[in-house]
Amino acid sequence: MRTIIFATTIRYLTPLFLILSLYILLRGHNHPGGGFIGGLIGSIAFVFHVLAHGSDRTVNVYFRLKLYSKGKPEEDTPPEHMWRLLSVNTWNRLPSYPQPEWRYHIVRLRPAYVMATGLFLAASSGLLGLLRGMPFMTSWWMEAEIPIIGALGTPLLFDAGVYLLVLGMVLKMVFTMSKE
Amino acid sequence: MLYSLLSGILLAAMAPQLQRVLGRFLVVSMVALPLLLFIYYCFFVPEVLQGQAVVQKFEWVPELGIDLQFRLDGLSLLFALLISFFGMLVMLYASAYLEGDPLLGRFYLYLTLFMVAMLGVVTSDNIFGLFVFWELTSISSYLLIGYKQVDKEARVAAWQALLVTGLGGMALMGGLLLLSIATGSYTFTEMLGQQEVVLQHAFYLPAVLLVLLACFTKSAQFPFHFWLPNAMAAPTPVSAYLHSATMVKAGVFLLARLTPILSGTDLWHFSLMLAGGLTAIIGAIMALQHTDLKAILAYTTISALGLLVTMLGIGSDYALKAMLVFLLAHALYKGTLFLVAGTIDHSAGTRDLTKLHYLGKQMKYSGTAATLASLSMAGVIPFLGFVGKELLYEASLENYIMLGISLLTGTAFAAVGILMSYRIFWRRGEEKTQFDHHPNLRLYLPPLVLAVSGLLLGLLVSVVPANLLQAAVRAVSGDPAMELKLALWHGFTPVLGLSLLTLLLGLLAYYFLPSLQNRATTIHPLYRFGPNALYHKFFELFLHGASAFILWLQNGHLRSYVMYIMIFFCGLLLFTLWRDTPGLDLQERIYQLHEVRLYELVVFFLVLSALVFLMGTRSRLTSIVVMGLIGYSAALFYILFGAPDVAATQFLIETLTVVIFVLLMHKLPAFIYLSHQFRKYKFIAIAVVFGALMTYVMLLVQQQTVDSELREYFGKASYLEAHGRNIVNVILVDFRGLDTLGEITVLAVAALGIFSLLRLNPEKGEKP
Repeated sequence: MRTIIFATTIRYLTPLFLILSLYILLRGHNHPGGGFIGGLIGSIAFVFHVLAHGSDRTVNVYFRLKLYSKGKPEEDTPPEHMWRLLSVNTWNRLPSYPQPEWRYHIVRLRPAYVMATGLFLAASSGLLGLLRGMPFMTSWWMEAEIPIIGALGTPLLFDAGVYLLVLGMVLKMVFTMSKE
Repeated sequence: MLYSLLSGILLAAMAPQLQRVLGRFLVVSMVALPLLLFIYYCFFVPEVLQGQAVVQKFEWVPELGIDLQFRLDGLSLLFALLISFFGMLVMLYASAYLEGDPLLGRFYLYLTLFMVAMLGVVTSDNIFGLFVFWELTSISSYLLIGYKQVDKEARVAAWQALLVTGLGGMALMGGLLLLSIATGSYTFTEMLGQQEVVLQHAFYLPAVLLVLLACFTKSAQFPFHFWLPNAMAAPTPVSAYLHSATMVKAGVFLLARLTPILSGTDLWHFSLMLAGGLTAIIGAIMALQHTDLKAILAYTTISALGLLVTMLGIGSDYALKAMLVFLLAHALYKGTLFLVAGTIDHSAGTRDLTKLHYLGKQMKYSGTAATLASLSMAGVIPFLGFVGKELLYEASLENYIMLGISLLTGTAFAAVGILMSYRIFWRRGEEKTQFDHHPNLRLYLPPLVLAVSGLLLGLLVSVVPANLLQAAVRAVSGDPAMELKLALWHGFTPVLGLSLLTLLLGLLAYYFLPSLQNRATTIHPLYRFGPNALYHKFFELFLHGASAFILWLQNGHLRSYVMYIMIFFCGLLLFTLWRDTPGLDLQERIYQLHEVRLYELVVFFLVLSALVFLMGTRSRLTSIVVMGLIGYSAALFYILFGAPDVAATQFLIETLTVVIFVLLMHKLPAFIYLSHQFRKYKFIAIAVVFGALMTYVMLLVQQQTVDSELREYFGKASYLEAHGRNIVNVILVDFRGLDTLGEITVLAVAALGIFSLLRLNPEKGEKP
């Protein structure tokens, strides 16, 4: 499966798939789509990435973040130091070969966490209604409309929960299965 | 009252943490709670003595009629005082008995939990509350019996106790529900006045049988008595508290509580007398056959429980009075004897009667306590046991069988009493038993307190306990005017003669005990047919049967599971169709065949040819891809019939399935036809039947005119109320959001299950 064409295409297509899946999630309330379908599309994006590059690389690219840090040098003021740390960790990332003066630790986003977050979002979206003194899962909408996304409300939060749960579940299965 | 129980549960939960903080002073907090509870219940005494029942109600699930309603009448108060008083002493005792045990905190957790549960049982008014607390006592008893987890014996005994009393718990639920249906209420307070209604009701028989099953299992009545001696594997404070003084009396308590509601029929009286009498005799005979102190005490406990049940069965005023007095007396002396047995075990390292000689010199206080308790047990004059025994004889004078039973058990009790005091403490002439260490204050004080209270209550019987017992008797008999006069000395009556006779017989039995014990070995073969052996046989058979059944049903082949599901589903459908026999009229709808479009036909033939191809293929990859093709065709159908959401989901799922299969491809064994050709046809036949049935059902459904209100309602409401135009999605996330929440929870749990299965490595010998 690991042909160059497939691998290269997938590298560019995966982010596009993800954007598409988010779009499907958001339009779900008025048009065909929704959390379940969106989650499936998102997970398919990663599944193809796993097929093309192997699960280790997928995890490295999308689910693992190296956070760099180092002690404050004498000549920097604290704000300068903070700014440097921020830039190194975001837009001005260090190259991947070892950097002796930088310490780092790895933040890994596990699929189980994604699942748990999804379940939490879905369940807590119902709680909002409860807090307002109405029965559990009474939906609640914001008055104002936001461009692209449309109106915001607890059902959207619920849908996002479904999205994350489906995504996390497929990822978990695929990562486990593709390991030896 | 609710808060007193809640505080107990809270303290129980904190006990292991408290142990870390307080160390060996943990006992202070654990003793303080029962003490406070005892004082708290004492405050209710004046009110209850005036004949009122204190009822407190806390709403729990008012929609279902489940409230935490508590009722404190004479009976409950007697038990509550007994439980908290005894709990205090046992907590103190346990701190010395289990000194240095790293799990002491956990022990206190169980013990306090049990105490709270027991208080809940005796004070609950609502049947659901009673049931919950009743089960809680079973569970905490299980944990306490199995406290020495490393012992296999303890684990087996704990299991046995849990299973037997759990069976009773289920019966209890059934019985109480039937009662509540019969009376139309969930509380005893409301049931109390409805004896006539209950006796006439069709549910009377099953309700009584279920309640009796529950009480007999809990109170170790024949033929369920076998779990109690085995439960002696628990630490001694537990045996003293649960298995002689309180928990096993829960059954007696419930019988007493239900006496004003259920009694009055031959069924009730005779089954109680029969079971109680048999239990009393068996317990008395078995008690004299053992040399283990705890076993002897356990069997006398069974015998005493049998007597209590018999008295309830007789049900006359005398019998009820005798029941209550004897209950109190028994709790005091039997608890003492158990605690002393524990002290002996703790100090001398053995509980074997034949190895214990002349202990009195070394443990004066324990010896005194044991002697006082034994005198009470034998029924010697100034003790509470004497009053109880007198009343017992008085109650059974009318019936010779009952009198015989009472005499027999009285004799056995007297013999055991002599055994427990004179034989092991004071008899000289043989070599002294060597002690590892001498008992300290906390080991001998609690039994001494109990024994002395037995003596004091006996001396002051007409003053102190009489009023409370009178309130209790009134609660049991349901007669608010009943009088209970207790006196130590009745004058020279036949009953006094019987008491003396019992003592003489007990002395005789004691002298002939060694030969009796030898004789007893001849009936040992009978044990092979006893209930205990039967229980183990049944348990073994059950396990074997269950594993054989599971191996047959869940054989690990996916195809079998799918087959079972389909066959079962077809069976259900066929049954429903056969029962309702709806007619299918196709004549009028034959014209629909003309409306079939060309593209529908194309998809149809696509699926058909794919199916035929699938059955012939010999490659796994091909079959997976062809399955994907079929799935896609189904999705096409959804699109053609205007369900884009479903179609999109179907497309995605099919894609994922194929991809995941491909991922797993190289891990699967080579694709070979292992199954016989015949099996293939069998699967085809099942599939065809399933498909045909589904088609038939679909046609039937279409025949009915579908109610279109729903469609209109959702069409309107989804935009106006839920701000969405996609009805399917709005239903999913809003109208039926709770369903979806449940579904995704199931999904998450299933994912975790799949994950743990996939991580399993059977080649390394890991087991699920």
